[in-house]
Amino acid sequence: MKRSSIVLRCLVLVYVMALLGLPLFFVFQQAFSHGWAALWAALHDHAMGLAIVLTMKVALLAVPLNVVFGIGVSLWIVRRPSWLSHVVDVIIDVPLAISPIIVGLILELAYAQSGWFGSTFARLGWKVMFSLPGIVLASIFVSLPLVSRQVIPLLREVGDHQEQTAATLGAKPTRIFFTITLRSIAWTAAYGVTLTLARVIGEYGAVLIVSGNIALVTQTLTLNIGANFENFNAYQGFVGALLLAMVSVMVLVFIGVARHRMERKRHDSFA
Amino acid sequence: MGYISLLVMIPLAALLTNAFKGGLGAFWRAAISTESVDALKLTLVCSFLAAAFNAVAGTATAFVLVRDKFPGQGILNTIIDLPFALPTVVAGITFYALYGPHSPFHVNITGSWIGITVAIMFVTLPFSVRSVQPVLESLSLDAEAAAATLGASSFRIFRTVTLPAILPALLTGTGLAFARALGEYGSVVFISNNLPYHSEVASSYVYSLVSSGQVASAASVAVVLLCLALLVLIASNVIGRRLSRRHG
Amino acid sequence: MTVSLNGVTKTFGHRLVLDNITESFADGQLTALLGPSGSGKSTLLKIVAGLTPLDSGQVVIGDRDVTHAPARDRHIGFCFQDYAPFRHLSVFDNVAYGLKVQRVPRDERRRQVEELLGLVRLEDFANQYPHHLSGGQRQRMALARALAVKPDVLLLDEPFAALDAQVRSELRSWVRSLQRDLGITTILVTHDQSEAMEIADRLVILNDGKIEQAGKPSFVYDHPATDFVAGFLGPLTYLDGIAYRPHELEVGAFGEAGENVRVTDVTRLGFEVRVTLENARGETTWVQLTHDEARALNPVVNQTLVVRARAEHSVLTRTSQH
Repeated sequence: MKRSSIVLRCLVLVYVMALLGLPLFFVFQQAFSHGWAALWAALHDHAMGLAIVLTMKVALLAVPLNVVFGIGVSLWIVRRPSWLSHVVDVIIDVPLAISPIIVGLILELAYAQSGWFGSTFARLGWKVMFSLPGIVLASIFVSLPLVSRQVIPLLREVGDHQEQTAATLGAKPTRIFFTITLRSIAWTAAYGVTLTLARVIGEYGAVLIVSGNIALVTQTLTLNIGANFENFNAYQGFVGALLLAMVSVMVLVFIGVARHRMERKRHDSFA
Repeated sequence: MGYISLLVMIPLAALLTNAFKGGLGAFWRAAISTESVDALKLTLVCSFLAAAFNAVAGTATAFVLVRDKFPGQGILNTIIDLPFALPTVVAGITFYALYGPHSPFHVNITGSWIGITVAIMFVTLPFSVRSVQPVLESLSLDAEAAAATLGASSFRIFRTVTLPAILPALLTGTGLAFARALGEYGSVVFISNNLPYHSEVASSYVYSLVSSGQVASAASVAVVLLCLALLVLIASNVIGRRLSRRHG
Repeated sequence: MTVSLNGVTKTFGHRLVLDNITESFADGQLTALLGPSGSGKSTLLKIVAGLTPLDSGQVVIGDRDVTHAPARDRHIGFCFQDYAPFRHLSVFDNVAYGLKVQRVPRDERRRQVEELLGLVRLEDFANQYPHHLSGGQRQRMALARALAVKPDVLLLDEPFAALDAQVRSELRSWVRSLQRDLGITTILVTHDQSEAMEIADRLVILNDGKIEQAGKPSFVYDHPATDFVAGFLGPLTYLDGIAYRPHELEVGAFGEAGENVRVTDVTRLGFEVRVTLENARGETTWVQLTHDEARALNPVVNQTLVVRARAEHSVLTRTSQH
C-alpha cells in the first residue's frame, strides 16, 4: 500500500464525514439531547402531527402520479420517437435547473387568484394556491424528471427485441408491459421512485411559497421544522428533523440496494 | 403532454409575461437593483467556489471509492447520496446549529459567504462524485500502467492519462452542481441570516420580494437567475461534449 | 404454410428500403433471404412478422391476408439475432411464455415445455436463467420458445451471426434437420452466402430493396441472373471480358491451346492454389488449381503458361471487367 493513497483515503474520509456524516449524526444528537421523555412529548406535538399527515397526503398523491407519468413518458420518448417526444425529452429535465423558490413563484403566477388560471379555477370552486393541490403541484414539479432520467437510458439499452418477441408469441400490449417491460426496468424504476419520494417529502422552498405556510393547515413537515426553528423552538425542530433523517437513512439504504441490483443486472446482461 | 404543459410550460410562460409586464425598462430596473445585483453576485461566487472545490474533492472521493479497498467503503459509497435523501431544511437547521452562535465548536460562520459556501458544498458533493465514478470504473488501467512503465510519476500519470478521460464527465457534473447551487434555498437560508446587500442569496431575495407582494420584481430577478442556471448547464454540456470528442 | 408477398413497399424517411417486392415462400421449405447489409432483408422479415408496418402491398400467410394483422395474431415464430431472451425468466418460463398467453393448462404446459426442451437439448437447464447459458444454448432456447406456440411460419433473423465458427456450423445443420423433421415453413435472413447455400432449399437474393434473383441454390450459383448475384454468391475471375468461377479456368504448359500469360503470383491456400496471371495486354486474371494440378504444373513466378476455359464451364454473364 502506497503512503500517498492512504493519505488520500484519510483526506476523503475526513472531508465526507465532516461535510455529510457530522450533520446527520448531529440531528440525532440534538433530538436525543433532552432525554427520552422530552422526545416522547415532542413527538406528540399537535402541529407537527398535522404536518406529518399533510406530508403523507402529498406524497401519496404526488409520487404515484409522477411514477406513472415518468414511466409513460420514458416509453413514449424511447419507443415512439417523434419530433414532439424529442422536445419533451429536453423540457422534462428543466425542473432540475430551476430554483425551488422560482418553482413556487411561477406556480403562484399561474395558479393564484390573481394569476392566469386562478380566477377560472376560483369560479369553478377550486382552490389551488395555499391548499393541498398547490403543494402537490409543486412537489410534482420539483420531482418530475427523477423517474424518467433513470428509466430512459435503461430502456434504450435493453432495446425492444424482448417486447417484439413477446408480441410474436401472442401477447397483447398490456401483458407485454407488465410481464416484460416493467420487469426489466423494475429496480431502476424503484430507484427513481425512491428519489422522487425523498424529494417530495423533503421539498421546502417551492412548498413554502405555494402553501402560504399556514400553521396547522398547509404546513408540511419541512415547513413545520423550519417554522419551529425560526420561532426559537429549535428542539422541536430537531425532533421533526429526526423523523426526516430516519426516512433519509432508509432511503439511502434502499438506494444502495437498488444500485447494487441494477449493476448486477447490467453485469448479467450479455447484449 | 398536457401534464408537462400544465406543469412546466404554462407557468414558465406566466413567469416571462410577469417579468416583462412593465416593459423592458421595469424588468431591467428590477434585475439590476443594488440588492438584486449583490444577491446574484454572492450566489454566483459561493456557488462557483463550492462547485470548484467539490470538483477536486469529488474526484478524490470517486478515486478512493473506485481504486481503493478498505472496510467501510460501502458505507462511504452510500452516504455520498445523503444530500439527495436528506431534506434541505434539515441540513439548513443543522448547519446553523453546528456552525452558528451556539456552535459546539465555537465557530460562527453565519451571515458570511463561508457559511453559504459550506451549505452549498454539502448539497453539491454527490453531483461531482457520481459523475466521475462511473467513468473511472470503466476506465481501463492499461493506459495508466503503460504510462507507469514509461517512468511517469503518479501525478504525471493522473494529469496526462486519467484526467483527460474523466474531464468531460467532471465538467458536466460540476456544471450540474453549479446550476443546482444557484437556486439553492433550504440549506442556505438559515446559515446565511439573509442580510440584504451582504449575505442574501438570489433565491432568498426572490422569496423576500414574493412575500412582500412585489411579484413582478420577483419574476424579473427569477428570470435572470433562471437564465444563469440554464447558461451554466448548456455551457458545461457543450464544453464537456467537445472535450469528449477530442479524446475519443 | 405458404407465405406470399404482393408488391410490398417500405420507405424510411426518404429512403426506399423495399421496392415492390412480390415473392412466394413455399410450404415446408426453408428459404434464405440473402443480401448485403442495408439490402432490406431484415426489414422484409419484420414486415412478414408484423413487427414493422409496410407502406403498401399485401402479406398473405396460408389463405389469410395478414397485412393489417398485429404480430400477435399472425401465428409466426420469430428469433432475433441477439435471441432476445427474457432475462428475468428462467429457461422453462421463457419457453412457457407463449403457452401461458394461450392459457394452456398448467400440466399440459409443463408437458409441452419439457418436450420442447428435450427437442433443443436443454432439459438440464430448465431452471437456469438465460445469462447462465452459452450463445448456442440461448439460441436453442429462443427456438424452443418460438416453436412452443406451434407457429405456421418460422422467421429467423441472422440466427447464427453472433456465434463462433465451430458452434455456428453445428447449429446450422441441427436447425436444418429440425426444420425438415417439423416440416415448418421457414424464412431465414443472412448475409453469409455460404450459410445460405448450405442450409436453404431456395435462395431469394436481395439488393438495394429489390429481388435480384430467386431459385435453388445450385441453380442460382451456376446461372446468376445479374452481375450482383454472380459476384455475391462467390468469387469471379475474368478472361477476355467474360466472368468465370475461378475453378472454371484451367492453365496449361506453354505451347498448348489457350492464351499466353505470365505468372505474377502463386499463393498456396492449403488444398488449393491460387495463381495470378497477366496477358500481353497487361490484363490480369486468376485461377484456382487443386493441389494435384498445381503439383503437376508447378507454376513459378515469371513463367509463361496458357490459360483457357474448361470444357464444361457455365458462362455466367457477358460481364465486362470494370
